[in-house]
Amino acid sequence: MKSAIKVLKEQVKFSYLINRLSVYELRSLTRGNYLGAAWEIINPAIQIMIYWFVFGFGIRQREAIGEIPYFQWMFAGILVWFFINGSVMKASKSIYTKIRMLAKMNFPMSVIPNYTIFAQLYPHLILLAIGMIVLQFIGFPISIYYIQLPIYIVGLLVFLFSLSLITSTLSTIVRDVQMLLQSVMRMLLYLSPILWPPTLLPESWQVFLKLNPFYYVIEGYRYSLLGEGWYFVENPTYTLYFVGVVVLTFLVGSYLHVKFRSQFIDFL
Amino acid sequence: MGNSVEVKNVSKRYKLYKKKSERLFDLLVPYKDYGENFYALQNVSFTVEEGSIVGLVGINGSGKSTLANIIAGVIPSTNGHVTSNGDVALIAVNAGLDGKLSGRENIELKLLMLGFSQKQISEMEDEIIEFAELEKFIDQPVKTYSSGMKSRLGFSISVRVNPDILIVDEALSVGDKAFSEKSLDKMMEFKKKGKTMFFVSHSIAQMKKFCDQILWLEFGVVKEYGPTKEVIAKYETFLEEYKALSKTDKKKYRTSALNRQSKKNEKPVEIL
Repeated sequence: MKSAIKVLKEQVKFSYLINRLSVYELRSLTRGNYLGAAWEIINPAIQIMIYWFVFGFGIRQREAIGEIPYFQWMFAGILVWFFINGSVMKASKSIYTKIRMLAKMNFPMSVIPNYTIFAQLYPHLILLAIGMIVLQFIGFPISIYYIQLPIYIVGLLVFLFSLSLITSTLSTIVRDVQMLLQSVMRMLLYLSPILWPPTLLPESWQVFLKLNPFYYVIEGYRYSLLGEGWYFVENPTYTLYFVGVVVLTFLVGSYLHVKFRSQFIDFL
Repeated sequence: MGNSVEVKNVSKRYKLYKKKSERLFDLLVPYKDYGENFYALQNVSFTVEEGSIVGLVGINGSGKSTLANIIAGVIPSTNGHVTSNGDVALIAVNAGLDGKLSGRENIELKLLMLGFSQKQISEMEDEIIEFAELEKFIDQPVKTYSSGMKSRLGFSISVRVNPDILIVDEALSVGDKAFSEKSLDKMMEFKKKGKTMFFVSHSIAQMKKFCDQILWLEFGVVKEYGPTKEVIAKYETFLEEYKALSKTDKKKYRTSALNRQSKKNEKPVEIL
Protein backbone atom coordinates (compact mmCIF):
# COMPACT_ATOMS: atom_id res chain seq x y z
CA MET A 1 0.00 0.00 0.00
CA LYS A 2 2.79 2.36 0.95
CA SER A 3 4.66 1.68 -2.24
CA ALA A 4 1.47 2.12 -4.25
CA ILE A 5 1.07 5.64 -2.88
CA LYS A 6 4.73 6.33 -3.52
CA VAL A 7 4.51 5.24 -7.15
CA LEU A 8 1.27 7.18 -7.61
CA LYS A 9 2.81 10.34 -6.19
CA GLU A 10 5.77 10.02 -8.53
CA GLN A 11 3.47 9.80 -11.53
CA VAL A 12 1.68 12.98 -10.52
CA LYS A 13 4.81 14.86 -9.62
CA PHE A 14 6.62 13.97 -12.82
CA SER A 15 3.70 14.08 -15.21
CA TYR A 16 5.34 16.91 -17.17
CA LEU A 17 8.50 14.83 -17.46
CA ILE A 18 6.54 11.77 -18.61
CA ASN A 19 4.87 13.79 -21.29
CA ARG A 20 8.10 15.31 -22.59
CA LEU A 21 10.13 12.11 -22.38
CA SER A 22 7.52 10.19 -24.34
CA VAL A 23 8.05 12.59 -27.25
CA TYR A 24 11.77 11.82 -27.32
CA GLU A 25 11.03 8.13 -26.96
CA LEU A 26 8.72 8.28 -29.97
CA ARG A 27 11.38 10.13 -31.96
CA SER A 28 13.98 7.58 -31.00
CA LEU A 29 11.67 4.75 -32.11
CA THR A 30 10.77 6.15 -35.49
CA ARG A 31 14.15 7.63 -36.36
CA GLY A 32 16.24 5.70 -38.82
CA ASN A 33 13.47 4.50 -41.14
CA TYR A 34 12.89 6.48 -44.30
CA LEU A 35 9.16 6.46 -43.74
CA GLY A 36 9.63 7.10 -40.01
CA ALA A 37 6.37 7.47 -38.13
CA ALA A 38 4.34 6.37 -41.17
CA TRP A 39 5.20 2.79 -40.24
CA GLU A 40 2.96 3.15 -37.21
CA ILE A 41 0.09 3.20 -39.72
CA ILE A 42 1.48 1.03 -42.52
CA ASN A 43 2.30 -1.87 -40.24
CA PRO A 44 -1.19 -2.20 -38.72
CA ALA A 45 -2.78 -1.72 -42.15
CA ILE A 46 -0.83 -4.65 -43.57
CA GLN A 47 -1.70 -6.85 -40.60
CA ILE A 48 -5.39 -5.98 -40.83
CA MET A 49 -5.35 -6.93 -44.50
CA ILE A 50 -3.75 -10.28 -43.77
CA TYR A 51 -6.13 -11.15 -40.93
CA TRP A 52 -9.07 -10.11 -43.06
CA PHE A 53 -7.84 -12.28 -45.90
CA VAL A 54 -7.14 -15.33 -43.73
CA PHE A 55 -10.07 -15.18 -41.32
CA GLY A 56 -12.53 -13.30 -43.50
CA PHE A 57 -12.12 -15.17 -46.76
CA GLY A 58 -9.99 -18.22 -46.13
CA ILE A 59 -11.51 -19.73 -42.99
CA ARG A 60 -14.84 -18.07 -42.28
CA GLN A 61 -15.91 -17.21 -45.78
CA ARG A 62 -17.33 -13.81 -45.02
CA GLU A 63 -19.82 -14.95 -42.45
CA ALA A 64 -21.08 -11.97 -40.52
CA ILE A 65 -20.83 -11.81 -36.72
CA GLY A 66 -24.43 -11.32 -35.66
CA GLU A 67 -25.48 -8.36 -37.72
CA ILE A 68 -22.00 -6.93 -38.18
CA PRO A 69 -19.96 -7.85 -41.25
CA TYR A 70 -16.71 -9.62 -40.39
CA PHE A 71 -14.30 -6.90 -41.54
CA GLN A 72 -15.97 -4.14 -39.54
CA TRP A 73 -16.19 -6.39 -36.49
CA MET A 74 -12.51 -7.37 -36.61
CA PHE A 75 -11.40 -3.84 -37.49
CA ALA A 76 -13.06 -2.27 -34.43
CA GLY A 77 -11.39 -4.78 -32.11
CA ILE A 78 -7.93 -4.99 -33.59
CA LEU A 79 -7.24 -1.23 -33.54
CA VAL A 80 -6.67 -1.29 -29.80
CA TRP A 81 -4.73 -4.55 -29.93
CA PHE A 82 -1.81 -2.88 -31.72
CA PHE A 83 -1.57 -0.46 -28.83
CA ILE A 84 -1.88 -3.18 -26.19
CA ASN A 85 0.72 -5.39 -27.81
CA GLY A 86 3.21 -2.58 -28.45
CA SER A 87 2.90 -1.18 -24.96
CA VAL A 88 3.19 -4.48 -23.13
CA MET A 89 6.28 -5.51 -25.06
CA LYS A 90 8.09 -2.15 -25.03
CA ALA A 91 7.23 -1.27 -21.43
CA SER A 92 8.41 -4.60 -20.07
CA LYS A 93 11.89 -4.12 -21.47
CA SER A 94 11.92 -0.38 -20.81
CA ILE A 95 13.79 -0.46 -17.52
CA TYR A 96 16.69 -2.67 -18.48
CA THR A 97 17.22 -0.95 -21.81
CA LYS A 98 17.06 2.58 -20.45
CA ILE A 99 18.53 2.33 -16.98
CA ARG A 100 22.05 3.08 -18.16
CA MET A 101 20.84 6.38 -19.48
CA LEU A 102 18.76 7.31 -16.51
CA ALA A 103 20.38 5.95 -13.40
CA LYS A 104 23.07 8.58 -13.38
CA MET A 105 20.72 10.79 -11.45
CA ASN A 106 18.30 9.96 -8.72
CA PHE A 107 15.66 9.43 -11.31
CA PRO A 108 12.17 8.24 -10.35
CA MET A 109 12.34 4.91 -12.09
CA SER A 110 8.61 4.19 -12.04
CA VAL A 111 8.34 6.90 -14.68
CA ILE A 112 10.23 4.81 -17.24
CA PRO A 113 7.52 2.25 -18.13
CA ASN A 114 4.93 5.02 -17.99
CA TYR A 115 6.50 7.24 -20.61
CA THR A 116 7.21 4.22 -22.80
CA ILE A 117 3.46 3.50 -22.78
CA PHE A 118 2.63 7.12 -23.52
CA ALA A 119 4.99 7.03 -26.50
CA GLN A 120 2.78 4.23 -27.83
CA LEU A 121 -0.42 6.13 -27.09
CA TYR A 122 0.11 8.93 -29.61
CA PRO A 123 0.36 6.67 -32.66
CA HIS A 124 -2.61 4.75 -31.27
CA LEU A 125 -4.77 7.88 -31.12
CA ILE A 126 -3.84 8.72 -34.69
CA LEU A 127 -4.62 5.18 -35.78
CA LEU A 128 -7.91 5.37 -33.90
CA ALA A 129 -8.83 8.61 -35.66
CA ILE A 130 -8.06 7.06 -39.05
CA GLY A 131 -10.06 4.00 -38.03
CA MET A 132 -13.03 6.20 -37.16
CA ILE A 133 -12.86 7.88 -40.55
CA VAL A 134 -12.70 4.51 -42.30
CA LEU A 135 -15.72 3.30 -40.31
CA GLN A 136 -17.78 6.26 -41.57
CA PHE A 137 -17.50 4.92 -45.09
CA ILE A 138 -18.15 1.26 -44.37
CA GLY A 139 -21.50 1.56 -42.71
CA PHE A 140 -20.74 2.60 -39.12
CA PRO A 141 -21.08 6.37 -38.81
CA ILE A 142 -20.24 8.35 -35.71
CA SER A 143 -22.70 7.84 -32.85
CA ILE A 144 -23.45 8.88 -29.28
CA TYR A 145 -21.66 5.72 -28.11
CA TYR A 146 -18.28 7.29 -29.01
CA ILE A 147 -18.36 9.26 -25.77
CA GLN A 148 -17.74 6.13 -23.68
CA LEU A 149 -14.43 5.55 -25.49
CA PRO A 150 -12.29 7.71 -23.14
CA ILE A 151 -13.33 5.46 -20.26
CA TYR A 152 -11.77 2.43 -21.92
CA ILE A 153 -8.70 4.38 -23.02
CA VAL A 154 -8.03 5.59 -19.48
CA GLY A 155 -8.84 2.19 -18.00
CA LEU A 156 -6.48 0.55 -20.44
CA LEU A 157 -3.69 3.06 -19.72
CA VAL A 158 -3.93 2.46 -15.99
CA PHE A 159 -3.99 -1.28 -16.46
CA LEU A 160 -1.05 -1.24 -18.88
CA PHE A 161 0.99 0.85 -16.46
CA SER A 162 0.17 -1.41 -13.50
CA LEU A 163 1.04 -4.48 -15.52
CA SER A 164 4.27 -2.91 -16.77
CA LEU A 165 5.39 -2.32 -13.18
CA ILE A 166 5.31 -6.09 -12.73
CA THR A 167 6.70 -7.11 -16.11
CA SER A 168 9.46 -4.51 -16.23
CA THR A 169 10.68 -5.51 -12.78
CA LEU A 170 10.59 -9.23 -13.52
CA SER A 171 12.23 -8.94 -16.93
CA THR A 172 15.03 -6.81 -15.51
CA ILE A 173 15.77 -9.53 -12.96
CA VAL A 174 15.21 -12.50 -15.25
CA ARG A 175 15.56 -11.64 -18.91
CA ASP A 176 13.60 -14.75 -19.95
CA VAL A 177 10.39 -13.05 -18.87
CA GLN A 178 10.58 -10.98 -22.02
CA MET A 179 10.53 -14.12 -24.18
CA LEU A 180 7.71 -15.62 -22.17
CA LEU A 181 5.71 -12.44 -22.51
CA GLN A 182 6.11 -12.51 -26.26
CA SER A 183 4.55 -15.96 -26.39
CA VAL A 184 1.78 -15.01 -23.99
CA MET A 185 0.87 -11.96 -26.04
CA ARG A 186 0.74 -14.00 -29.23
CA MET A 187 -1.53 -16.47 -27.45
CA LEU A 188 -3.74 -13.67 -26.13
CA LEU A 189 -4.28 -12.36 -29.65
CA TYR A 190 -6.14 -15.59 -30.38
CA LEU A 191 -7.80 -15.85 -26.98
CA SER A 192 -9.24 -12.32 -27.09
CA PRO A 193 -12.30 -11.35 -29.10
CA ILE A 194 -10.29 -9.95 -32.00
CA LEU A 195 -10.05 -12.39 -34.86
CA TRP A 196 -12.98 -14.67 -34.07
CA PRO A 197 -16.04 -14.22 -31.86
CA PRO A 198 -15.86 -16.23 -28.61
CA THR A 199 -19.65 -16.51 -28.82
CA LEU A 200 -18.93 -19.54 -31.02
CA LEU A 201 -17.81 -21.34 -27.86
CA PRO A 202 -20.16 -22.88 -25.29
CA GLU A 203 -21.33 -20.37 -22.66
CA SER A 204 -19.33 -22.02 -19.86
CA TRP A 205 -16.05 -21.60 -21.75
CA GLN A 206 -16.58 -17.96 -22.52
CA VAL A 207 -16.29 -17.11 -18.84
CA PHE A 208 -12.67 -18.23 -18.79
CA LEU A 209 -11.80 -16.08 -21.78
CA LYS A 210 -13.33 -13.14 -19.98
CA LEU A 211 -10.81 -13.47 -17.13
CA ASN A 212 -8.40 -11.73 -19.48
CA PRO A 213 -8.84 -8.01 -18.71
CA PHE A 214 -7.96 -7.07 -22.28
CA TYR A 215 -11.21 -8.82 -23.28
CA TYR A 216 -13.12 -6.08 -21.46
CA VAL A 217 -11.24 -3.25 -23.15
CA ILE A 218 -11.50 -4.73 -26.63
CA GLU A 219 -15.24 -5.27 -26.31
CA GLY A 220 -15.61 -1.77 -24.89
CA TYR A 221 -13.83 -0.30 -27.89
CA ARG A 222 -15.99 -2.33 -30.21
CA TYR A 223 -19.23 -1.24 -28.55
CA SER A 224 -18.13 2.39 -28.83
CA LEU A 225 -16.92 2.31 -32.39
CA LEU A 226 -19.73 0.23 -33.81
CA GLY A 227 -22.41 1.82 -31.64
CA GLU A 228 -23.57 -1.46 -30.13
CA GLY A 229 -24.48 -0.05 -26.72
CA TRP A 230 -23.06 1.09 -23.40
CA TYR A 231 -20.70 -1.75 -22.58
CA PHE A 232 -19.78 -0.77 -19.03
CA VAL A 233 -23.42 -0.20 -18.10
CA GLU A 234 -24.67 -3.39 -19.66
CA ASN A 235 -21.97 -5.47 -17.94
CA PRO A 236 -21.71 -4.08 -14.40
CA THR A 237 -20.14 -7.17 -12.83
CA TYR A 238 -17.55 -7.37 -15.56
CA THR A 239 -16.75 -3.69 -15.11
CA LEU A 240 -16.25 -4.29 -11.39
CA TYR A 241 -14.05 -7.27 -12.16
CA PHE A 242 -11.91 -5.13 -14.48
CA VAL A 243 -11.48 -2.40 -11.86
CA GLY A 244 -10.60 -5.04 -9.27
CA VAL A 245 -7.94 -6.57 -11.50
CA VAL A 246 -6.46 -3.13 -12.22
CA VAL A 247 -6.22 -2.25 -8.52
CA LEU A 248 -4.71 -5.60 -7.60
CA THR A 249 -2.18 -5.42 -10.45
CA PHE A 250 -1.21 -1.92 -9.40
CA LEU A 251 -0.69 -2.93 -5.77
CA VAL A 252 1.43 -5.94 -6.67
CA GLY A 253 3.29 -3.99 -9.35
CA SER A 254 4.26 -1.07 -7.16
CA TYR A 255 5.26 -3.40 -4.34
CA LEU A 256 7.63 -5.31 -6.63
CA HIS A 257 8.91 -2.17 -8.29
CA VAL A 258 9.73 -0.34 -5.06
CA LYS A 259 11.24 -3.46 -3.53
CA PHE A 260 13.70 -4.06 -6.33
CA ARG A 261 14.31 -0.70 -7.92
CA SER A 262 17.43 0.24 -6.01
CA GLN A 263 19.05 -2.97 -7.22
CA PHE A 264 18.00 -2.78 -10.87
CA ILE A 265 21.40 -1.57 -11.98
CA ASP A 266 23.09 -4.61 -10.42
CA PHE A 267 21.01 -6.97 -12.52
CA LEU A 268 22.40 -5.72 -15.83
CA MET B 1 35.74 24.34 5.51
CA GLY B 2 33.27 21.55 6.08
CA ASN B 3 33.22 18.09 4.69
CA SER B 4 31.77 17.76 1.26
CA VAL B 5 31.71 14.01 0.87
CA GLU B 6 31.80 11.46 3.63
CA VAL B 7 32.22 7.81 2.75
CA LYS B 8 31.65 5.52 5.68
CA ASN B 9 32.38 1.80 5.76
CA VAL B 10 31.26 1.33 2.19
CA SER B 11 31.37 -2.19 0.86
CA LYS B 12 30.16 -3.46 -2.45
CA ARG B 13 29.48 -7.13 -2.85
CA TYR B 14 28.96 -8.80 -6.15
CA LYS B 15 27.90 -12.37 -6.55
CA LEU B 16 29.72 -14.65 -8.91
CA TYR B 17 27.62 -17.53 -10.14
CA LYS B 18 28.96 -20.54 -11.95
CA LYS B 19 25.67 -21.26 -13.63
CA LYS B 20 22.70 -19.12 -14.61
CA SER B 21 20.45 -21.29 -12.48
CA GLU B 22 22.40 -20.43 -9.33
CA ARG B 23 21.45 -16.82 -9.77
CA LEU B 24 17.81 -17.73 -9.95
CA PHE B 25 17.97 -19.97 -6.88
CA ASP B 26 19.72 -17.21 -4.98
CA LEU B 27 16.79 -14.94 -5.70
CA LEU B 28 14.06 -17.42 -4.97
CA VAL B 29 15.40 -19.42 -2.04
CA PRO B 30 15.69 -17.37 1.11
CA TYR B 31 18.07 -18.22 3.95
CA LYS B 32 20.45 -20.00 1.65
CA ASP B 33 23.41 -18.58 -0.17
CA TYR B 34 24.26 -19.55 -3.70
CA GLY B 35 27.25 -18.40 -5.67
CA GLU B 36 30.53 -16.95 -4.56
CA ASN B 37 30.89 -13.56 -2.92
CA PHE B 38 33.17 -11.00 -4.38
CA TYR B 39 33.84 -7.76 -2.58
CA ALA B 40 34.72 -5.07 -5.08
CA LEU B 41 35.02 -2.66 -2.15
CA GLN B 42 35.55 -3.44 1.51
CA ASN B 43 35.04 -1.04 4.38
CA VAL B 44 36.10 2.00 2.45
CA SER B 45 35.97 5.10 4.64
CA PHE B 46 37.28 8.56 4.02
CA THR B 47 36.18 12.17 4.10
CA VAL B 48 36.77 14.85 1.56
CA GLU B 49 36.90 18.52 2.44
CA GLU B 50 34.92 20.96 0.44
CA GLY B 51 36.87 22.30 -2.52
CA SER B 52 39.52 19.66 -2.65
CA ILE B 53 40.34 17.46 -5.58
CA VAL B 54 40.81 13.79 -4.94
CA GLY B 55 42.53 11.45 -7.35
CA LEU B 56 41.62 7.79 -7.27
CA VAL B 57 44.50 5.53 -8.21
CA GLY B 58 45.07 1.81 -8.25
CA ILE B 59 45.81 -0.94 -10.73
CA ASN B 60 43.06 -2.45 -12.87
CA GLY B 61 40.32 -4.11 -10.86
CA SER B 62 41.02 -2.21 -7.68
CA GLY B 63 37.51 -0.78 -7.49
CA LYS B 64 38.07 2.80 -8.63
CA SER B 65 35.13 2.94 -10.97
CA THR B 66 32.87 1.10 -8.53
CA LEU B 67 33.69 3.66 -5.87
CA ALA B 68 33.13 6.53 -8.31
CA ASN B 69 29.73 5.08 -9.21
CA ILE B 70 28.73 4.62 -5.59
CA ILE B 71 29.67 8.20 -4.68
CA ALA B 72 27.69 9.41 -7.68
CA GLY B 73 24.69 7.39 -6.54
CA VAL B 74 24.55 5.35 -9.71
CA ILE B 75 24.90 1.99 -8.00
CA PRO B 76 23.86 1.23 -4.44
CA SER B 77 26.44 0.08 -1.91
CA THR B 78 25.92 -3.21 -0.10
CA ASN B 79 26.93 -1.81 3.28
CA GLY B 80 27.83 1.59 4.61
CA HIS B 81 26.72 4.91 3.25
CA VAL B 82 27.87 7.99 1.43
CA THR B 83 26.80 11.46 2.46
CA SER B 84 27.43 14.19 -0.03
CA ASN B 85 26.79 17.85 0.38
CA GLY B 86 25.27 18.91 -2.94
CA ASP B 87 24.55 17.62 -6.43
CA VAL B 88 26.90 14.98 -7.75
CA ALA B 89 27.58 14.51 -11.44
CA LEU B 90 29.52 11.63 -12.90
CA ILE B 91 31.30 11.93 -16.21
CA ALA B 92 32.24 8.61 -17.69
CA VAL B 93 33.26 7.53 -21.16
CA ASN B 94 29.98 5.78 -21.86
CA ALA B 95 27.93 8.68 -20.68
CA GLY B 96 24.50 7.17 -21.26
CA LEU B 97 23.45 8.70 -24.54
CA ASP B 98 20.68 7.49 -26.83
CA GLY B 99 22.41 6.43 -30.03
CA LYS B 100 19.38 6.89 -32.23
CA LEU B 101 18.77 10.49 -31.23
CA SER B 102 20.89 13.39 -32.43
CA GLY B 103 23.42 15.17 -30.24
CA ARG B 104 21.05 18.08 -29.80
CA GLU B 105 18.17 15.84 -28.78
CA ASN B 106 20.43 14.03 -26.35
CA ILE B 107 21.36 17.33 -24.73
CA GLU B 108 17.68 18.22 -24.36
CA LEU B 109 16.83 14.76 -23.06
CA LYS B 110 19.60 14.76 -20.47
CA LEU B 111 18.77 18.23 -19.22
CA LEU B 112 15.10 17.33 -19.11
CA MET B 113 15.84 14.34 -16.94
CA LEU B 114 17.92 16.49 -14.65
CA GLY B 115 14.83 18.58 -14.08
CA PHE B 116 15.52 21.73 -16.07
CA SER B 117 12.68 23.68 -17.61
CA GLN B 118 12.22 24.20 -21.32
CA LYS B 119 13.50 27.77 -21.10
CA GLN B 120 16.63 26.85 -19.17
CA ILE B 121 17.34 24.05 -21.61
CA SER B 122 17.28 26.26 -24.67
CA GLU B 123 19.56 28.70 -22.89
CA MET B 124 22.12 26.05 -22.00
CA GLU B 125 21.96 24.18 -25.28
CA ASP B 126 24.07 26.54 -27.40
CA GLU B 127 26.80 26.80 -24.80
CA ILE B 128 27.01 23.03 -24.55
CA ILE B 129 27.21 22.62 -28.31
CA GLU B 130 29.93 25.22 -28.52
CA PHE B 131 31.97 23.68 -25.73
CA ALA B 132 31.66 20.20 -27.21
CA GLU B 133 33.00 21.44 -30.57
CA LEU B 134 30.57 19.26 -32.47
CA GLU B 135 29.50 21.88 -35.01
CA LYS B 136 27.54 20.27 -37.84
CA PHE B 137 27.60 16.84 -36.24
CA ILE B 138 25.24 18.01 -33.52
CA ASP B 139 22.19 17.10 -35.60
CA GLN B 140 23.53 13.67 -36.56
CA PRO B 141 22.56 10.56 -34.61
CA VAL B 142 24.91 9.91 -31.70
CA LYS B 143 25.57 6.33 -32.86
CA THR B 144 27.62 7.79 -35.72
CA TYR B 145 29.89 9.70 -33.30
CA SER B 146 33.43 8.67 -32.51
CA SER B 147 34.22 7.82 -28.89
CA GLY B 148 36.01 11.15 -28.54
CA MET B 149 32.94 13.02 -29.76
CA LYS B 150 30.68 11.13 -27.39
CA SER B 151 32.79 11.83 -24.36
CA ARG B 152 33.14 15.47 -25.39
CA LEU B 153 29.37 15.73 -25.52
CA GLY B 154 28.97 13.98 -22.18
CA PHE B 155 31.61 16.14 -20.56
CA SER B 156 30.15 19.35 -21.91
CA ILE B 157 26.67 18.53 -20.62
CA SER B 158 27.87 17.58 -17.15
CA VAL B 159 30.06 20.64 -16.87
CA ARG B 160 27.33 23.03 -17.95
CA VAL B 161 24.90 21.55 -15.45
CA ASN B 162 27.19 23.07 -12.84
CA PRO B 163 27.17 20.36 -10.18
CA ASP B 164 28.58 20.89 -6.71
CA ILE B 165 30.59 17.71 -6.86
CA LEU B 166 32.07 16.37 -10.06
CA ILE B 167 33.43 12.89 -10.64
CA VAL B 168 35.49 12.37 -13.77
CA ASP B 169 36.00 8.70 -14.60
CA GLU B 170 38.68 8.39 -17.29
CA ALA B 171 36.59 10.65 -19.47
CA LEU B 172 39.46 12.93 -20.34
CA SER B 173 41.73 10.28 -21.72
CA VAL B 174 39.77 9.82 -24.95
CA GLY B 175 39.63 13.38 -26.22
CA ASP B 176 42.55 14.91 -28.09
CA LYS B 177 45.14 17.02 -26.35
CA ALA B 178 43.50 20.33 -27.17
CA PHE B 179 40.16 19.26 -25.75
CA SER B 180 41.59 17.61 -22.67
CA GLU B 181 43.52 20.81 -21.95
CA LYS B 182 40.35 22.79 -22.38
CA SER B 183 38.60 20.41 -20.00
CA LEU B 184 41.41 20.70 -17.49
CA ASP B 185 41.09 24.48 -17.69
CA LYS B 186 37.39 24.14 -17.02
CA MET B 187 38.12 21.96 -14.04
CA MET B 188 40.68 24.45 -12.77
CA GLU B 189 37.95 27.03 -12.98
CA PHE B 190 35.73 24.76 -10.91
CA LYS B 191 38.54 24.30 -8.45
CA LYS B 192 38.82 28.03 -8.01
CA LYS B 193 35.11 28.19 -7.40
CA GLY B 194 35.64 25.73 -4.59
CA LYS B 195 33.91 22.70 -6.04
CA THR B 196 34.83 19.24 -4.90
CA MET B 197 36.09 16.90 -7.56
CA PHE B 198 37.06 13.28 -7.96
CA PHE B 199 39.38 12.22 -10.65
CA VAL B 200 39.88 8.67 -11.85
CA SER B 201 42.79 8.28 -14.21
CA HIS B 202 45.84 6.21 -14.98
CA SER B 203 47.79 9.28 -15.92
CA ILE B 204 50.07 10.05 -12.99
CA ALA B 205 51.25 13.26 -14.61
CA GLN B 206 47.69 14.60 -14.69
CA MET B 207 47.17 13.57 -11.10
CA LYS B 208 50.29 15.36 -9.92
CA LYS B 209 49.28 18.51 -11.69
CA PHE B 210 45.75 18.54 -10.53
CA CYS B 211 44.94 16.69 -7.32
CA ASP B 212 45.28 17.74 -3.70
CA GLN B 213 44.66 14.33 -2.24
CA ILE B 214 45.17 10.84 -3.53
CA LEU B 215 43.15 7.80 -2.55
CA TRP B 216 45.00 4.63 -3.40
CA LEU B 217 42.76 1.63 -3.72
CA GLU B 218 44.11 -1.85 -3.82
CA PHE B 219 41.75 -4.71 -4.57
CA GLY B 220 38.84 -3.05 -2.89
CA VAL B 221 40.49 -1.61 0.21
CA VAL B 222 42.04 1.75 0.89
CA LYS B 223 45.78 1.38 0.92
CA GLU B 224 46.73 5.01 1.36
CA TYR B 225 44.91 8.29 1.58
CA GLY B 226 46.76 11.55 1.91
CA PRO B 227 48.40 14.49 0.19
CA THR B 228 49.25 13.91 -3.46
CA LYS B 229 53.02 14.14 -3.11
CA GLU B 230 53.37 11.45 -0.47
CA VAL B 231 50.92 8.95 -1.85
CA ILE B 232 51.87 9.31 -5.49
CA ALA B 233 55.51 8.69 -4.63
CA LYS B 234 54.58 5.50 -2.81
CA TYR B 235 52.25 4.45 -5.61
CA GLU B 236 54.99 4.98 -8.17
CA THR B 237 57.42 2.83 -6.22
CA PHE B 238 54.74 0.19 -5.91
CA LEU B 239 54.15 0.25 -9.67
CA GLU B 240 57.87 -0.17 -10.30
CA GLU B 241 58.04 -3.12 -7.95
CA TYR B 242 54.87 -4.63 -9.37
CA LYS B 243 56.19 -4.34 -12.90
CA ALA B 244 59.43 -5.95 -11.87
CA LEU B 245 57.71 -8.98 -10.39
CA SER B 246 57.98 -12.20 -12.32
CA LYS B 247 54.91 -13.63 -13.97
CA THR B 248 54.35 -16.25 -11.29
CA ASP B 249 54.80 -13.72 -8.51
CA LYS B 250 52.30 -11.38 -10.13
CA LYS B 251 49.84 -14.20 -10.34
CA LYS B 252 50.42 -15.19 -6.72
CA TYR B 253 49.85 -11.61 -5.69
CA ARG B 254 46.62 -11.39 -7.59
CA THR B 255 45.29 -14.74 -6.34
CA SER B 256 45.91 -13.89 -2.71
CA ALA B 257 44.18 -10.55 -3.26
CA LEU B 258 41.24 -12.22 -4.94
CA ASN B 259 40.92 -14.70 -2.10
CA ARG B 260 40.77 -11.83 0.29
CA GLN B 261 38.06 -10.21 -1.79
CA SER B 262 35.81 -13.21 -1.48
CA LYS B 263 35.72 -13.02 2.32
CA LYS B 264 34.02 -10.43 4.37
CA ASN B 265 35.54 -7.74 6.56
CA GLU B 266 39.13 -8.88 6.70
CA LYS B 267 41.72 -6.35 7.56
CA PRO B 268 43.91 -5.38 4.63
CA VAL B 269 46.98 -7.58 4.57
CA GLU B 270 50.39 -6.50 3.51
CA ILE B 271 51.17 -8.51 0.46
CA LEU B 272 54.39 -7.13 -0.82
